[in-house]
Amino acid sequence: MKRRDSIKTIILSSIGASLTLEGCISPLNENVSEKIWEYRYGRTPYEKERDKKFLNAQFFNKSELRTIERIANIIIPPNEFGNINDAGVVEMIEFIAKDWSTPAHNNYGENVLRKGLIVLDNLFENKFNNKLTDCSDDQIKSMFDIISYNDGIEEDFKEAASFFATYRYMVVTGWFTSEVGMRDLGYKGNIPNVWDGVPEDVLKDHDVSYDLEWIAKCVDQSKRNETAVWDEDGNLLT
Amino acid sequence: MEIKESKEKYDVIIVGSGAAGGITTKILTDAGLKVALIEAGPYFDPADPEQQTQFKPTWASPRRGSSVTRRFGDFHMSYGDWKVDGEPYSSKEDTDFMWWRSRMLGGRTNHWGRIASRLGPKDFKCKDFYDLDENWPITYEDIKPYYDKLDKLIGVFGTKENLPNDPDGFFLPPPKPRLHELYYIKGAKKSGINVIPSRLSVLTKRINNQRGICMFCGQCERSCSVYACFSSSSSLVIPSLKGGLLDLYTDSMVRKVNTDNNGIATGVSFINKKNGKEYSIKSKVVVLGASSCSSARILLNSKSNEHPNGLGNSSGLIGKYLQDTVGTSKQIFVPELMNRKTYNEDGVGGAHVYTPWWLHDKKLDFPIGYHIETSYRNLGMPQFGIGGYIPNDFNKFFGLRVGGYGEQIRKDVKKYWGSTIALESRGGAIPDINNYCEIDENKKDKYGIPVLKFNYKWADTEYNQAKHAQDIYEELAYNMNGIMIGDKPGKDQNYGISTPGSIIHEVGTTRMGNNPNTSVVNKYERLHDVDNVYVVDAGPFVFKGDKNPTWTIMALAWRTSDHIISELKKQNL
Repeated sequence: MKRRDSIKTIILSSIGASLTLEGCISPLNENVSEKIWEYRYGRTPYEKERDKKFLNAQFFNKSELRTIERIANIIIPPNEFGNINDAGVVEMIEFIAKDWSTPAHNNYGENVLRKGLIVLDNLFENKFNNKLTDCSDDQIKSMFDIISYNDGIEEDFKEAASFFATYRYMVVTGWFTSEVGMRDLGYKGNIPNVWDGVPEDVLKDHDVSYDLEWIAKCVDQSKRNETAVWDEDGNLLT
Repeated sequence: MEIKESKEKYDVIIVGSGAAGGITTKILTDAGLKVALIEAGPYFDPADPEQQTQFKPTWASPRRGSSVTRRFGDFHMSYGDWKVDGEPYSSKEDTDFMWWRSRMLGGRTNHWGRIASRLGPKDFKCKDFYDLDENWPITYEDIKPYYDKLDKLIGVFGTKENLPNDPDGFFLPPPKPRLHELYYIKGAKKSGINVIPSRLSVLTKRINNQRGICMFCGQCERSCSVYACFSSSSSLVIPSLKGGLLDLYTDSMVRKVNTDNNGIATGVSFINKKNGKEYSIKSKVVVLGASSCSSARILLNSKSNEHPNGLGNSSGLIGKYLQDTVGTSKQIFVPELMNRKTYNEDGVGGAHVYTPWWLHDKKLDFPIGYHIETSYRNLGMPQFGIGGYIPNDFNKFFGLRVGGYGEQIRKDVKKYWGSTIALESRGGAIPDINNYCEIDENKKDKYGIPVLKFNYKWADTEYNQAKHAQDIYEELAYNMNGIMIGDKPGKDQNYGISTPGSIIHEVGTTRMGNNPNTSVVNKYERLHDVDNVYVVDAGPFVFKGDKNPTWTIMALAWRTSDHIISELKKQNL
């Protein structure tokens, strides 16, 4: 994914030494039985093992998770489709912190996601003498107003702005790739259906139309179940 | 399936279960021959619910489909990509080559784009038309009957267009274009650029009772659980297993082709990945369909007193003339596609339209043309990274503030969703003896088999081809009232030309020809040096033009299979 690679370069190029993967991930309380595999899709044995290991380990502590949840709720506020928790956004970020904690990802969990929380927390500590989670919505928004726009960010806020952008990227992805977020977006696919062209009102709205000669060659969906038979010149007879 | 040591002698051993190995297996077992098929990866059936990723929503993945363990994301159906654990390769100093391997039954046909184009008459006479070093030793007319048979057996949609170098076939009817494809058609028309329905191996209509019909989920690259798009696993190998003449060896990595004192092949040796042990099995005929570079590697590693340079390598040309497709791409933002009304536009797992090469008669500063493919998942299921790193970056085009959070960001993601079109050129590469793979004597894979080293550079005219495509994208962007996203790549960025190997169309390492001094196999894909060894993947390609190679691999392999059957009947093998 080239885009991600370039993003990685942008974010990580200014960050120095990294901690090892093992150092920052602690296993969950041993009394808790192994987390059940809730994700059901085709995995190779290697992939399944790898994912299970991460699902049964904890990267962020409770305070960090509360900070992520708070940030996420302000980046994408709840609406009639659901909220950040319905979308599993925090769980996704927790998983990615472990999943991308490889040398290839330049130990993203520690160097970007955890460091980002520290930088953002410091920002609020300095300004309001309070942890981010202890600030009011208005206080948080007043800072986000400063660090969330690309233009005119002062030097002092550049680092925080870059980490904010990372969390925004994670939260937006987490929201719109969730079941509730896809409904919010209006995505209608991923089900068996019979495609028979763009709806008439959409064509009209965009001032485009189907070429009749072109359409005449397209599949007649009422005959899709009839076995194809051709003449010797390749003309379809059925 | 359990690996077994076989005492019996097969009629034919086939190495590799992808496009080439699959069709060869079907044709040979249908003819009553006893066949061993050897695959380096595990058994795979797209219908197996344990392996299925089709129809799984993005949130079914804890990483939301992002590409950590699979290069094209969690749901992509390829076990292995440009990197395979324990199977390294390298490139010579100032060159770079990317080598994709799918280690699974059906190989890369499980994830391919299903673009089923035929080479045209000019592509076979490439010396005459493009001033290249050699023509193919066969013509379009030689191969046409096999393309026709493939169309009917496996299925491809498309339309009769009577184009000079993009021959028609026995087509199923194509699906109607999507909305952004109508914009593309309209934009291309303004510049006199032809657009026609795509030619994809997807069943838009029933062809038999063994395979289902397309459900328009747009997920062909996940491999279809009802077998509506073609995979060698679902459509060729698995049906062939029912006939009782096929022994399938999975997780088996072929080390070499074995030969006797007369230099004749006796079978192959392979390593069982499960227990690490080496086995050998015997046959009258050995067919390599392991992919261009893998087959070249096996032959080069099959050294013996009789074949000191590797099997079939008396010409010294195995590995040479390696070609990948020349590609360059660009995203275009089309403001008229903002704020789209949403509906299910998944369609098939590929673009419904494309532009075949249209400037046959124009004098240009590059000899070989390209076709243009477009993106197709514009309104598709959201994947990791939806919206991009800065979800409203396009605000800059309207003088609006970029960034923010809250309802504004939510609105902006929706506003821009589906408003970009990606254009991708796929062009013919020039066969060049200096582009090659060879054995790296210093390095072995985890099975102890010497690995490949690549040397590949684009030619000046190939950069010219990429430059031309970028100029066309700029024109098309203008025609669609759109804007190229990011700078147009100029000379300093090599016009955005693809890294060799990255388009995953490697061909040409065991070149076909009539002269044993200048080619490796004859026109039936048989080694000049050894009568009972054939190469049926894309290795024998002399040239592929701008065409995607799969359909031609299979047509040639079918033709070779007929030849093998006839030779065995005549007891020549």
